[in-house]
Amino acid sequence: MTELYPLTPSGPSRRSTLRAAGALLLGLGLAGCRSAVSDTSSAPQGASAARRRGGVLNVAVNADFTPALLFAQSGQSLQQRLIYNTLTRYDDRLHPKPELATSWTYAKDGRSITLRLRDDVTFHNGRRFTADDVIFAVKNLQNPVRAAQLRSTAATVTGFEKRGDHELVLKLAHPVNNLFDLFEFMIITDSESVEDAVAGKKFIGTGPFKLKKWSPGSGLSLTRNDAYWQPGRPYLDGVELRVIAQADALISSLRSGQSQLSFDVPGKSLGVVKADNGLAISDYDTGAGAVYLGVNTTVAPLNDRTVRQALAWAVDRDRLVAQTLGGYGLASAAPWPKSSPAYSEANRTHYTHDPAKARELLKSAGHSRLDLPMLHIALPGETAIAESIQYDLKQVGVHVTLQPTDGATAQKKLISQGMPALWSLGHGFAQVQPSTLAVSAYPFNEAKNTSKYRSTAYTKVVQEAWTEPETDTAAANALHQKISTILLDEAFLIDLVVRGQLQVSADRLHGVTLNKFSYLNLDNAYLV
Amino acid sequence: MRSYLLRRLPSALLVLIAASFVIFTILRLVPGDPATALAGPDADAATVAAIRERLGLDAPLLSQYAHWIGSLLKGDLGPSYAIGGQTADLIGDGLGATTELTVAALLFVIVLGTAFGVLGATSRSRWLTAAVRVITTAALAVPPFVSGVLLVLVFAVALPVLPPGGRVAFLTAPDLAAQYLVLPALCLALPSAAVLGRYLKDGIERGLAEDYIRTATAAGVPPRRLLWRHTLPNALPPVVTLLGMQVGNLLGGAVLVEAIFAWPGLGQLAEQGLQRRDYPVVQDLLLLLVAVFVLVQLLTDLVYAWLDPRIRWE
Repeated sequence: MTELYPLTPSGPSRRSTLRAAGALLLGLGLAGCRSAVSDTSSAPQGASAARRRGGVLNVAVNADFTPALLFAQSGQSLQQRLIYNTLTRYDDRLHPKPELATSWTYAKDGRSITLRLRDDVTFHNGRRFTADDVIFAVKNLQNPVRAAQLRSTAATVTGFEKRGDHELVLKLAHPVNNLFDLFEFMIITDSESVEDAVAGKKFIGTGPFKLKKWSPGSGLSLTRNDAYWQPGRPYLDGVELRVIAQADALISSLRSGQSQLSFDVPGKSLGVVKADNGLAISDYDTGAGAVYLGVNTTVAPLNDRTVRQALAWAVDRDRLVAQTLGGYGLASAAPWPKSSPAYSEANRTHYTHDPAKARELLKSAGHSRLDLPMLHIALPGETAIAESIQYDLKQVGVHVTLQPTDGATAQKKLISQGMPALWSLGHGFAQVQPSTLAVSAYPFNEAKNTSKYRSTAYTKVVQEAWTEPETDTAAANALHQKISTILLDEAFLIDLVVRGQLQVSADRLHGVTLNKFSYLNLDNAYLV
Repeated sequence: MRSYLLRRLPSALLVLIAASFVIFTILRLVPGDPATALAGPDADAATVAAIRERLGLDAPLLSQYAHWIGSLLKGDLGPSYAIGGQTADLIGDGLGATTELTVAALLFVIVLGTAFGVLGATSRSRWLTAAVRVITTAALAVPPFVSGVLLVLVFAVALPVLPPGGRVAFLTAPDLAAQYLVLPALCLALPSAAVLGRYLKDGIERGLAEDYIRTATAAGVPPRRLLWRHTLPNALPPVVTLLGMQVGNLLGGAVLVEAIFAWPGLGQLAEQGLQRRDYPVVQDLLLLLVAVFVLVQLLTDLVYAWLDPRIRWE
């Protein structure tokens, strides 16, 4: 067949055109273009380990923060301690250390506390920090609109007595033993711009970094506060909190050096991180949250405690840690991390994986097969946990139908007590004073909880533990044990794994810490 | 052309009105509501009710719909419930980013698609035509969430020459912005470029088989002139329609690609808005996307009519 179209070009050849285009691109590239890769590496100026100053830290987060929830602990609270300070901060053994409060004295009857405050602190707008700012902060948290989890503790403060600008007495309606939880949780904001803060317009605190820009959905850009009250701090010039919602993208960002820190790497991806020589994993084993199986105690046959206990025996907590959490976490039947005053090995191992015992208990309650729905959040990690629980329960004759749902719907059902028979979610607040869990974490709340569990004995012991002035005494410990015993025996909420906060960071980043409410502290952080 | 445009406008308006109603209704059917998302994890019923009242969510649905459309007609997109700030500002920021990404991807589509089409139709090298065929098949078959991850692994992790995600605004630093754009734009463009390339290849091959080309060849017209001046222009009108449809695909695909490359565009905004049940943001955004799609289709038809006068007189 004759070729209709003689393909012998008469002009410049394709090859020469491509060569010219290639040369042009190369020329453009070499003509002094900055590299976006090295631009984000953010090495300190004249980097030397000795000076440790300068540089911008890029933190990868999987969600932006919600300004409307500025005063609540939400999914992303890292920026709280970067822009703001708190009155005190706990060490690893729950002993409070000074921050904006330099010292404190409890009244003998536990009905007031006297705080002495720093007198060298200014807000980012230049205004001086005084006792009035603490009064405002407490009253602000008492406002239900702020949705603060520690509102009940803030509400026990019924009076204020100012003794000058930097000494203040907080008068309490009754003694409480989790006041320092409140002081660690409560960020001190500028009262004049607080409404702008919850509207996402202006964030003014006394913290080590000032807001440069917030781009909703993209993240926060913070710059060093040169007038910070801690001399010579912070070392870093700035911090970028970048929203990278997709897990693979977030890991790529860490592996390529574009980000140097993240707390949002899912358990199943930790293997990739471990294999990377430039990245390190740290586990804040003081606890940041827990995986639990919630039980609606008004749904038959879950209104029978024996059936609930059978479920607690049926779940293989160790496998859950190994297979779904990348090996990070403490298999535990009780909510407490090892650093908690309420922790005991006996409570942790109260329920272990014993399918035979679970079947026996179900049989004693008159059941050989149960069909129950279970709600979980439709995210990869949460789904894996739910499927693991589903598998274990099936082995003892409890056939679970999964109900995947999104976070907003789960939240609504949690608050409105609209959960089905079972649900798997996470809870926090066991990492601070044990009484806080029962008065501030909704799933455990003695007055109203998602499981619809009520008991006079539980209410009594929770109130006693909360109003016991001392936190580290035999009496306090006895009350903590009573709470644990009720939680374990009644099994309206079946704890499975205590999770620590997992930090993935570049080797060249040092000095990072978190407080008990996952507020990032970079006062002493530096890049080498 | 003007009367042609006037004939097309009523149907475009009807599509927008129907879309607004469907968007509003579907969003209200999704479980969960903004008040509980805003109230925080441990809120009581009274707090949730107070927030519902403040947001106007306790009003009848029809009145909420009327209020939304009325505000839109006045140019007021209202405040975002959860993200903070004005919806118009949020959409404005995201629109800039998505437009940058879409325009860059469209350039890739045009350049790569033309290269695939011309090389596929005219190359005498069997290796080259086979290579083009393999590349276009792969580009069509591999979904963006796979090709995106591969591109990142190769160009950002293994050979760290390009950033794996994020954005620098083009007007701020064009040299850096271009580097941030390459991977997401390429990932977004690949399937559309493959479609365009295959379409163009067929068009060129058909054109080259026409009698007038044979005549022109016999008359000694140079082959390059035959290709670029005679064959390609005749193959273009259907390709323009296809390109218009690909703009819609690019906008739709941007949602996924923006997530892979942490590109802060409208896709990310829509995902965030939906997660938090931020009704104003999601409603306005979806309606805007429908409007853009309708506009692109209208423009495509106009360009087609301009290229082919027969269409105008039908």
